Amino acid sequence: MNEETPLLSRRNFLWHTANGFGAAALSWMMQRDAFAAVSPYSAKRSHYAGKAKRVIHICSTGGVSHVDTFDPKPELAKRHGQEYKDPRYDPFFGQPGRIRRSPWGFRECGQAGVPISDLFPHLATCADDIAFVNSMHAKSSNHTPATFQENTGFTINGFPSLGAWLSYGLGSENSDLPAYVVLPDARGLPAGGSINWTSGFLPAVHQGVAFNTQAGVEPIPNLRTPDSVTGKARRAGFDLLADFNADFSAQHPHDDVLRARIRSYELAAQMQLSVPGIVDVDRESPATRELYGVDDPDTLGFGRSCLLARRLSERGVRFLQLFNGGAFGGRPRVNWDAHEDLVDNHGRQARTLDKPVAGLIKDLKSRGLLDETLILWTSEFGRTPVTQGLTGKGRDHHPDAFTVWMAGGGIKGGMRHGSTDELGFYVAEKPAQFYDIHATMLHLNGMDHTRLTYYHNGIQRRLTDVHGHVLHDLLV
Amino acid sequence: MNLLRTICAVLLCFGYTWMTTAAELLNADHWAYHPPMEIAGDGIDEFVQQRLKASGLTLNEQANRRTLIRRLTFDLHGVPPTPSEVVEFLADKSSNAVSRLIDRLLKSPRYGERWARHWLDVVRFSESQGYERDKIRPDSWHYRDYVIRSLNADKPYDQFAREQIAGDVIQPVTQDSIKATGFLVAGPWDEVGNGQRSRIMRMHVREEELEDIISAVGQTFLGVTINCARCHDHKTDPIPQADYYSVKAVFEGVFHGTRTYLTPGEVKQREADAVRLQNAFNKAEQRRRQLKRQAIEILSRRKTPGQSPLRPMLRWTFDEGPDDLVRGLSGQLRDGAKIEDGRLILDGKKAHLVSAKLPRLPKTKTLEGWVQLNDLEQRAGAVISIHHSPGNVFDALVYGERRPRAWMVGSDFFKRTLDLANKESEADQLVHVAITYGDGDTITLYRNGRAIGSYKPRNPLIEFEQEKALVYLGRRTGSGYLKGEIEEIRVYDRALTAEEVRGSFENGPVLFSRDQLVAALSRTEGKEYRSLIEQTAGLRRQLAEARARPLVYAARTAKPKPTPLLARGDIKAPGEIMTPRALAGVASLNPHLGLNKESSDADRRRRFAEWLTHPDNPLLARVLVNRVWHYHFGTGLVDTPSDFGVSGGRPSHPQLLDWLARQFREDSWSIKQLHRRILNSAVYLQSSTFNETAAHKDADNRLLWRFPPKRLEAEAVRDSLLALSGQINWEMGGPGYRPFDLEINNTHFYHTKDKIGPEFNRRTIYRIGVQSLRESLLDSLDCPDLSTKTPVRGVTTTPIQALALMNDSFVQRQAQFLAKRLRDDVGENLRNQIRQAYRLVFGRSPTLSETRRAEAHANEHGLQQVCWVLMNSNEFIHVR
Repeated sequence: MNEETPLLSRRNFLWHTANGFGAAALSWMMQRDAFAAVSPYSAKRSHYAGKAKRVIHICSTGGVSHVDTFDPKPELAKRHGQEYKDPRYDPFFGQPGRIRRSPWGFRECGQAGVPISDLFPHLATCADDIAFVNSMHAKSSNHTPATFQENTGFTINGFPSLGAWLSYGLGSENSDLPAYVVLPDARGLPAGGSINWTSGFLPAVHQGVAFNTQAGVEPIPNLRTPDSVTGKARRAGFDLLADFNADFSAQHPHDDVLRARIRSYELAAQMQLSVPGIVDVDRESPATRELYGVDDPDTLGFGRSCLLARRLSERGVRFLQLFNGGAFGGRPRVNWDAHEDLVDNHGRQARTLDKPVAGLIKDLKSRGLLDETLILWTSEFGRTPVTQGLTGKGRDHHPDAFTVWMAGGGIKGGMRHGSTDELGFYVAEKPAQFYDIHATMLHLNGMDHTRLTYYHNGIQRRLTDVHGHVLHDLLV
Repeated sequence: MNLLRTICAVLLCFGYTWMTTAAELLNADHWAYHPPMEIAGDGIDEFVQQRLKASGLTLNEQANRRTLIRRLTFDLHGVPPTPSEVVEFLADKSSNAVSRLIDRLLKSPRYGERWARHWLDVVRFSESQGYERDKIRPDSWHYRDYVIRSLNADKPYDQFAREQIAGDVIQPVTQDSIKATGFLVAGPWDEVGNGQRSRIMRMHVREEELEDIISAVGQTFLGVTINCARCHDHKTDPIPQADYYSVKAVFEGVFHGTRTYLTPGEVKQREADAVRLQNAFNKAEQRRRQLKRQAIEILSRRKTPGQSPLRPMLRWTFDEGPDDLVRGLSGQLRDGAKIEDGRLILDGKKAHLVSAKLPRLPKTKTLEGWVQLNDLEQRAGAVISIHHSPGNVFDALVYGERRPRAWMVGSDFFKRTLDLANKESEADQLVHVAITYGDGDTITLYRNGRAIGSYKPRNPLIEFEQEKALVYLGRRTGSGYLKGEIEEIRVYDRALTAEEVRGSFENGPVLFSRDQLVAALSRTEGKEYRSLIEQTAGLRRQLAEARARPLVYAARTAKPKPTPLLARGDIKAPGEIMTPRALAGVASLNPHLGLNKESSDADRRRRFAEWLTHPDNPLLARVLVNRVWHYHFGTGLVDTPSDFGVSGGRPSHPQLLDWLARQFREDSWSIKQLHRRILNSAVYLQSSTFNETAAHKDADNRLLWRFPPKRLEAEAVRDSLLALSGQINWEMGGPGYRPFDLEINNTHFYHTKDKIGPEFNRRTIYRIGVQSLRESLLDSLDCPDLSTKTPVRGVTTTPIQALALMNDSFVQRQAQFLAKRLRDDVGENLRNQIRQAYRLVFGRSPTLSETRRAEAHANEHGLQQVCWVLMNSNEFIHVR
């Protein structure tokens, strides 16, 4: 609120109200703190001091194969080609398959020597910042319910997503911007679409605000003043609106909501001015652009999202949800759903993810922001260690074992939590679920997942339902 | 308490005597399960004033007339009063002017539209499936209209409730009572989950489905969160886990889907009609065909032989039925496909023709058809699909699949498909389309004899082996159905040349015009032929009517499966099979419905509905009167309208709640009478003037020392903007408007679009309720997630909301139309225009200072900019 703006200055808002506004209201409006108190995005107190101040959540959609990325299984190579028979095995498309080795090699990365496959040469250089949870399992082998569980803790519609909970719990550090911003993949929405950033039963103010990630397009709906309205007319219109609203407030001096609404127009005008600059990644240096790969067609899309995420997160957006992977349907697939051809699919998808996300980690680190920014990478489930079909080249959905990882924001890097059996079929040690990831995420942000509750239709609802354990060995 | 509950839960299994005791033990301490108290009292004002007095407070004086008409009109209609309505009301000096206004507002159909929206929030009404695919349910809107009609007709609430649970099986069954059961299945439905291979996963999906139904029933009508007892006994309320599964057993036979809303009586009548009409039709049709054959014979003799030198391998003309004419390959009409006047008629739903197995069809081939499209916006239907099973390999001539309005060479997984630039522009005209699959793997697509494009597909051409493939007409392999009429189809076992295709187009399908046929016959027979054509056409229409079974998305039923109690809600841990019954916690009623484990679905739901609406059910009336109170005052007497349980809110005025509940039942469950009682009270009619002393004692105004000011809901804002601009389209009912472009790529993607035209200027309740549709204006004004049961809407104020009202193209347009309307209403005088604007938007005249400022602004920037200011102002969006 410090900059004078051509569209809407404090002078316009305050001095034009002299003909009606009560003195009390005026002095109230002059106080920055009181301002913050009515901003719907204002910061709230956490339960305790958290290491992280904000979160960047990257969802790689479609189901990323754990045994080809972060959970090497040498046994697969030994038994490559054998038909797999197990009464527990219940794949989504129901076809039997053969054990299949990973077509990619693995390297021990960083000082700690955690394994990362050759799909991620850039990410491999960040290994010491990352904690892998190799023992994940989820409820559903179907994209939509699984994606809902990944993002809301529940497999059914209508529950608030992680970002909505964090917005509800902590508000925003920057009252000019929403607390919860979503950057969908420009190639289309994930399974379940915008339901993945719903506020569910929480107040609608906590719903994720989806930014348009394509260059040259209005980043937020209605951000631009229509071309048919001149700047001069809009400025005068604002003044007149402020006048009339001030008159009305003067008649009803005790109704806070009227003042909050005046304030919301001021914030809106601020956003009109500031957001185009924030999303303008062209302002970044060539070195930074190179770091994220925004000038390479393979990495352009997700590179932009990651760079945008850093810019928004720097400005205090509490929760950023990035989608890496586009819509379902159509061929070739534009997400990680490698039913037909693993080599082709994961090869292409990994290129979109690897450099941008490594760039994000490095960039945050060099700016001293990584320690207070939690990066959470998830996929709704893993993929079968066997082929889909006896002659297939792809892998089917696999919710019984998969990997997610976290970095920054209070996370101990260069480590693995839990493990899977020798083929990567089932969890062997320290089973973990999204409840635990969610609980850990809240904990790092200073929130106790059992105390962050909201009453809805008979239940004090929690993000973690009645489950969830903080994964303490991941913490610094 | 936990031990007690466990004991009770066990006892509950041993019969009613024990249960009464157990239930009494459990609910002894919770008010909501007691019958409403007999209260001596003289209405709403007395109860409210009693509590105010105890706190040393009083009601405000009555609000002024202008405020009242604005408040009441928004409250009951969701749009502002017109200037003339305001003038009329102010001029009414009679002592009962206010109650006459209330009566007038309640009589208007606008009332049902406004209040149905509240009900639809509570029952999580949506018109798409949700989840991954989020397909539209095109037949859901009947339920929305049912609610509007029921409210407008002041249907007794017990009947309204009964119909929604079991209207399809309680006499008298009507079309409306069948549509009412749309309530049960208004929630999300997981299409992919239901279709997956894993049985355990499918069972899990079904559990979620039933939980949605059970929680909707419990919360909507009883204010009880039965669903909390799915995995364990309810943590706070007297609902043991056994109750959840017993109630689940009641709804075990209910499934999502469509069914006809014709009553069984109507269906019977139509069946009888169909038989009679069919006989009459057959007779006339037989004679007509006889004459036609006669005429064709005569005409063919005159014509030179060899009329089709191209020698197709298969050919359908539909003149003599559904079989191919070259080899006599038989064809079957499926799912409503019909042949009329030598054409195959396809409804775009599921109608299609399927042939017997084909002889070998080589790689090089031609598919050719003459077709008339009846809808240019239809997607993914095929004129012809050569379908190889197993494997679902196919070659097809498809319309509008990947690109709207474009013809496409369809194939499995688009292996032999390439999008070609073309756009169909003529509806209801015969179009000639053909695909040739030629040597060197070249595919060419033709329209009206001209090549649209030619290409080499990604994958090589395929051959269809003998007896492995069949022909679909009107259907693409999978579920792409064409809406239109096919005049003729030809399949060739070679690729026609471009000249041959052009020649074929120019010659047209061999067809004799009606006049030619008549002319070939004798005078009497020609006359007879003409009249038979009319006769058969008329009979066909009547037959179609008699055969039609119009659909509604509502409860589809099946014989209920056994309902085991699931330990911890785990489908892998089934326990004892439950007998369907109602909640034991409602002690004033017998939860045993006289059912057993074999009872039919109809008996289960009928008995449950009777239990639910029994006059001694303490919850039904209380919950409803509280909902109505909530919408009038912004907060219910119980501030958790769908939860009257222990963890819900306590009533602020328990006696008033019970008094209202008793009155409601005595008024024969009339919701309109309930409105009248509330709206005519001094409590409702008082001003919203702030009172510092009162606010100090009761900041939340739960004691109602003033009328609580409210912000308009999203729908009211949009409807009001349309009403102010004069653009509103008051058309009621029917399928909703669709403010989006639909892109189908496995999932349905809804791209919001501000569409222009009268259809899109209907009230917001007629917006089709698609779960994944986001509309920034409505969402920013707290339109809830449709899949969520929403008894209370949030009211937030955000910059995103401000941006929407500032810049949304819809708002801009309404400001522009308002400016135009002002000129139309009062002429060119600016001062009059501004006065009229104030009267429309705020229901009052402007002050001198306001006029001056608005005039200056209009002079500088135009009247539209003044309209924009008023539409963005606090005075417009807040009701006091």
